[in-house]
Amino acid sequence: MLRLTPLSRERRAEVHADVLELFAVRRRDRGALHAHWRLYHDVASLWSPGAPLVVMRDIGGDVRYAARLFARQPGIVLMTIAGLSLGLAIATAAFSIMNAAVLRGEGIVDSERAPAVLRTSGTMTSTVWRYEEFLHLREGATRMQAEAMIRDGASVRTAPDESETPSTAMAFVSGGFFAATGGRTIVGRAFEPGDEQYAGPPPVVLSFTFWVSRLNQDPSVVGRTIRIGRTDATVIGVAERRFAVPNSSMLWLPVTAYNAVYNSNPERIAPKMSVEVFGRLRPDAGLAEAEAQLSGVAAALPRTPGTNDAIQVRLDPGTGLGRVAASTMMSIAAFVVAIIGLVLVLACANVASVLVAAAIGREREMGVRAALGASRARIVRQLVTESVALGVVAAAVGLLGAYWAIPIVGTMIEAPAGIDLAPDLNVYLFLGIVTLLAGIGAGLAPAWHGRGVDLVSPLKGDGADTRRTTPRRLRSALVMTQAAVSVLLIVVAALFVRATYRVASLDVGFDPDGLYEVHIGASRDAFGAGDAGIAAQWTRIIAEVESVPGIASATLVEIPPFGGGMKRSSSGDGPNRQLTYFNRTRAEYFRMMGVRVVAGRIFTREEIAEKAPVALISETLARRYWPDRSPLGELLPANIPLPPLHPRPQIIGVVTDTITAQLHEPSRFAVYQPLDPASEIFGNLMIRTAPGAIGVVQQVAQRLRTIEPRANVRFTSVADGLRQEAGRPRMLATLSGVIGIIAIVLCVIGLYGLTASVIGQRTREMGVRLALGASRGDLLRLLMWQSLRPVVAGLGAGAGAALLAGRAVVATMFFGMSPQDPLALAGAIVVLLVAAMLAVVVPTRRAASVDAAAVLHRS
Amino acid sequence: MKGERLGEFEEFTLLAVRALGDDTYAVPIQQYVEKVTGRPISVGSIYAALGRLEEKGFVRSAMSEAVAQRGGKSKRLYTVTPSGLKTARELHRVRERIWNAIGEGARS
Repeated sequence: MLRLTPLSRERRAEVHADVLELFAVRRRDRGALHAHWRLYHDVASLWSPGAPLVVMRDIGGDVRYAARLFARQPGIVLMTIAGLSLGLAIATAAFSIMNAAVLRGEGIVDSERAPAVLRTSGTMTSTVWRYEEFLHLREGATRMQAEAMIRDGASVRTAPDESETPSTAMAFVSGGFFAATGGRTIVGRAFEPGDEQYAGPPPVVLSFTFWVSRLNQDPSVVGRTIRIGRTDATVIGVAERRFAVPNSSMLWLPVTAYNAVYNSNPERIAPKMSVEVFGRLRPDAGLAEAEAQLSGVAAALPRTPGTNDAIQVRLDPGTGLGRVAASTMMSIAAFVVAIIGLVLVLACANVASVLVAAAIGREREMGVRAALGASRARIVRQLVTESVALGVVAAAVGLLGAYWAIPIVGTMIEAPAGIDLAPDLNVYLFLGIVTLLAGIGAGLAPAWHGRGVDLVSPLKGDGADTRRTTPRRLRSALVMTQAAVSVLLIVVAALFVRATYRVASLDVGFDPDGLYEVHIGASRDAFGAGDAGIAAQWTRIIAEVESVPGIASATLVEIPPFGGGMKRSSSGDGPNRQLTYFNRTRAEYFRMMGVRVVAGRIFTREEIAEKAPVALISETLARRYWPDRSPLGELLPANIPLPPLHPRPQIIGVVTDTITAQLHEPSRFAVYQPLDPASEIFGNLMIRTAPGAIGVVQQVAQRLRTIEPRANVRFTSVADGLRQEAGRPRMLATLSGVIGIIAIVLCVIGLYGLTASVIGQRTREMGVRLALGASRGDLLRLLMWQSLRPVVAGLGAGAGAALLAGRAVVATMFFGMSPQDPLALAGAIVVLLVAAMLAVVVPTRRAASVDAAAVLHRS
Repeated sequence: MKGERLGEFEEFTLLAVRALGDDTYAVPIQQYVEKVTGRPISVGSIYAALGRLEEKGFVRSAMSEAVAQRGGKSKRLYTVTPSGLKTARELHRVRERIWNAIGEGARS
């Protein structure tokens, strides 16, 4: 804060020390609260010495006055608070999530100087190294500290009688991990390099979230034993709350404990184990310098088999350690900021219009105040105080709302389990600033509305008709803004609703029920030596699994459907973008999936064993490239990119279409290649159970344990994966639908209040018009049109904005829906127009049914 | 500009510097003025007053050596100049004369 004060640099250090010293003295004498209050005051006083106290004194009066006024107009006050707190609750919830996801980061200190160490060799760049390579790098690095990390998950039990829980995210890290990331502990200690050579059960550091949610914040947690996978581990510390590197990790173990957790293997870690490497630059080292030095170290490593390129190092401060790519983060942030902005604009416009409506009725009061000697600035301040007071109440209500909404929104956007969404200081600051801005903005609106108005004429009795044109423009602008924002929000909601139906009716081309992906949960190193050992082990496993009654089939596939993984290439841009999914399978995969062969044949045993350059393609892909002839015997088209060093395969068969990933961007283009024995290390076991079979899954687990006693078997249902994927648009539809409905409600509240008070002012005019021979129908038409005109203009603007936004917004968010969807747009406009008419018709009818004689008589 | 004269708050500040035995700094000055006047004084107004006093040549300031308790930061020490002392005395004398006059008036 001091950095912002109008002081020179030399003075600042001095003032800083003074202020801190005063703070310490006051805390000693009068307590922390007093000291804080005076601290803020002192800092404020650096701008204008002495002034803040005076302002505060007067504000007390303003607030009292505002409170009395609110007590007299509970309706308006409740409406405003309701509107503003809804807006603030949504904005706060959205901001909390962005805060957790983007702003807070995961707690890497000075992350620019903690780059990922990437392994490049020829044209291939990889994020993973072998553990033995890492040891070599760590040994040789002089310009940076190199550290390794393996991300994985295992089930964790905190008490012997606790039931099995789903997999908990954890990281296996080298000893200097905490030093390199800057992670600190609040209880106990973090890892030190010596922890890699632990004796007895491995040490574990808990995340704050884990400590709170699983151990009830046990204060004597250090020394406690928890069960992780297949080993006991001793807690040595709890990381501070903001530290969750990488990817909301819940636990950290030494990298050398990897085999203990998964295999209870005496060998602590296999030298071939894949690890991610990152580093912390030495204080005096530059990125390029460290990169060159480490490349020199890496050049001595044995080359990748089959290539002649030396291994080199690239340092990338933007990736590694679970960092999300900047572009992804930016698009999330932009989307959330856009929503927050829209909702806030809406809430402010709404409050402003209610206050303007109230101000119309208060012209007389303002006149009296002016006559008694209040300056214009003083009156404006009164108005601003009132709306800030409203804002503060609304912020409190909004915060409660946000507390309630955050977990719901968190579930909707599928926040990972370990993420800590609870509001922190950033969120409170955000809420405070937004409330202040909203309050001041909304308070200035009636002031602006009243500018240039003769404050005296209202005093001359209510006969004087003060006709003006400028203020009406402000009112129209407010109504227009609200209508435009509402349309935009509702269009988005409508798009998601339609996307929900579209996804639900999407044919994935296979029956997901009874399909499971089996996670053996044992290190592949336990499979035996070399490709032959792996192949033999898989053969045993598949034979054993297929002998279980109720199992229809079992096979290996590189990428199981809807398991979260995918391998795809894209060609073309924009609407011409074409995604092609690649997979490597055994021949039995197609029968298991229920995929029919349309033409040609599937892989033979020899083709699989020899890694023959052959491929099966999907029907749609065949039709796209060979519309009028058979693709059999052709090579895969050159404009479908392949991984490097792969020969272009010959097409031997065409199979029916399936969609196996990413429902929001469904692609029926698929290429299947044989999963050869050398690649079986990448294989995943899939099983299909026979319909009606019960308890099969448990039996499979049992059989697998007889083969591999150290296995930690888990199953993922493909049907569940599909359901989760299909549920995503529904979540988003609900979320934006709720926001859209709130938008309409706010808009109607604002419009009703404004129309009622504007028309109330014109009662006399209506009386005159009636007396001059206008029919009630004429009056109704006139008033309706005048009130609805800004709404119609706003609808137009909102529709235009929706069309424009449609171009900018990433199309993938809309699950293959065009944002320019005419039905969604028309629907939104009709809904809003009907709501607006309802809001206007009530006050209008009242005005039109005025008794001309009575009105004229009164004046 | 008040020229070579002292405002009320400046007078308090000047006298506080003197009372604290010269070579003093903002924190004790603020504490002293707050205690004597019995009203909350912001540190900003103390800085402002000291600044004005220095401009007028009534106080002098110098940076101290770095002080360990203040995180190695040095502090600005203020001392009342002879002209400052003279002006304050002058002011006091004027006041005294008036009070004496009031006192005499009250007796008669």
